[in-house]
Amino acid sequence: MIQNILILTLNDLAIALKNKTIYLILFIPFFVFLSLQLIDQESAGLQQVKIGLVKDQAYPTMIIEKIQASDKLFSILWLNDQAEGKKRLKEKKLDGILLATAEAAPGLKLIVLKKTSHATIATVESLSALQTAVEGKSKNWIADIQSLQDSGVQRQTLPTWILMLVLLVGFIIIPAQVAEEKEKKLLLGLLQTPINEFEWLLAKLLLGMILIHLAVIFLHLLGGFEVTNVLSYWAFISAGSFCFSSFGISLGFLCRNQASARSLGVFFYLPLLLPSALSDFSEKLTNFAPLLPSYQFYQPIKAILLEGSAISDFPLDLLYLIFVGVLTSLLSYQLIKKRWLM
Amino acid sequence: MLIQVDNLAKVYKGGRGLSQTGFSVDKGEFIAIVGHNGAGKSTLLKMLAGWIIPDSGEVFVDGLHLKNRLALVRKIGFVPESPNLFDFFSVQANLKLFARLFKLPLSRIEEILEEFDLLAYRHSKIQDLSKGLKQRVSIGRSLLADPPVLLFDEPSSGLDFEMTKEIYRLLRSSHAAGKTILFTSHRPEEIKSLATRILLLHQGEIIFDGPPKEYFLTKIHESLYA
Repeated sequence: MIQNILILTLNDLAIALKNKTIYLILFIPFFVFLSLQLIDQESAGLQQVKIGLVKDQAYPTMIIEKIQASDKLFSILWLNDQAEGKKRLKEKKLDGILLATAEAAPGLKLIVLKKTSHATIATVESLSALQTAVEGKSKNWIADIQSLQDSGVQRQTLPTWILMLVLLVGFIIIPAQVAEEKEKKLLLGLLQTPINEFEWLLAKLLLGMILIHLAVIFLHLLGGFEVTNVLSYWAFISAGSFCFSSFGISLGFLCRNQASARSLGVFFYLPLLLPSALSDFSEKLTNFAPLLPSYQFYQPIKAILLEGSAISDFPLDLLYLIFVGVLTSLLSYQLIKKRWLM
Repeated sequence: MLIQVDNLAKVYKGGRGLSQTGFSVDKGEFIAIVGHNGAGKSTLLKMLAGWIIPDSGEVFVDGLHLKNRLALVRKIGFVPESPNLFDFFSVQANLKLFARLFKLPLSRIEEILEEFDLLAYRHSKIQDLSKGLKQRVSIGRSLLADPPVLLFDEPSSGLDFEMTKEIYRLLRSSHAAGKTILFTSHRPEEIKSLATRILLLHQGEIIFDGPPKEYFLTKIHESLYA
């Protein structure tokens, strides 16, 4: 009996090797390790707080002198205007921007990306520690904190869930379905009718886009999440669903069967999901993630949902998504024409 | 002449496939394509059906070039060895899908269901049917658009005696209705009882082309399958 179990287990392992499932066991830990290396590793307590100061602001002289003198706690970057500062905040190049308040008592207004973040806590703690050291207990230097992404924690995680949904349909569902149609010769059967390859491809693209739209609508209905710039939002959902459905179809075409398609889908799913979703926590990932089409989808969706941005703020991202979609559609078209692995 | 094949070739990695094959087929012929596994029988049929893209060569069916697939699908019906039907759909849904794609009236489905004795199974899912019934649905589907040429890859493979007889009956009735049929086979009794002409493929080349009587007189079949 033990011998039979061993024979069957070895057979299962051979199948897993053949359909590439086993590679995931090596790939997933390796990829998670690689992602962890890209997340900023310094301890929050020891890290210098990166503060932006705007040139035309009338800062209380004493406070600014003390901040500038504490170069172990703070690194200062002088900015031309607030817009430059906000851009650098989004790029994780700054932890906060200090502005002068108009009130009679000397004080500062702190602008951060999110109120509930490690960077904000570290900034406030460092300023507070400096103030205590200089003045003892008195009125806080920070009179007001304003965040760029002013929304609840639930809503702040929404772009990540949307990205996950879109990539799940694009890289797990669609490739497996395409590979199934190839494996069972259903596609060849359909191509014995007067439909052309382009029509089949468009139908598959539509399927992916419909599934993604339905998933997103369902999520919004369940969570009661409202969107202010509806047109911009749906433009990016449509461009993203086109891009990743098309990508998924081409992956399905590269595989002979469903098991291979699922494995290959995961190979693409994780590297596209994690760097984009984790870019919020790391300057390193923020530098690397823009190379990925998922980031060109995630960033605009996040900005539209959390900062009220519009499509006009991200024209290149939209074009990039459409470009990747068209490119992968052309690849699929060539593969179907050649009856690749059918 | 209904089908003209010139220098048709498809070579796979390892050298197997079909090399520079040529022959012609007249309307109403019933041709058995015979040969060992790997001789190129299925490759030949699949190239005629558009499933495999040839490396080289020309094929004309009723004057239409093989590259003119959209027109050719109305000329050729192909029944593969394993029925490629949508398992989760019913018999009727499978036929309806293809009837819609061919833009045929839905009454054509009723004709096929009746002709192939499938009326009782119209709402049965394909996954619940026996292989013989699936093969009947597959043949019925290939006849939906009433193509003049039918290609069968091992039509009785894996079927029991009764189902094999039933498939032979369907093939004969299609031939009697004026269809030109090409089928691949290993079975001598199948070849004898159905074919009017035999093409013997060996290592990707046609080494015999003639009537069954001559084929079995030459003892080539026995020597090939000895």
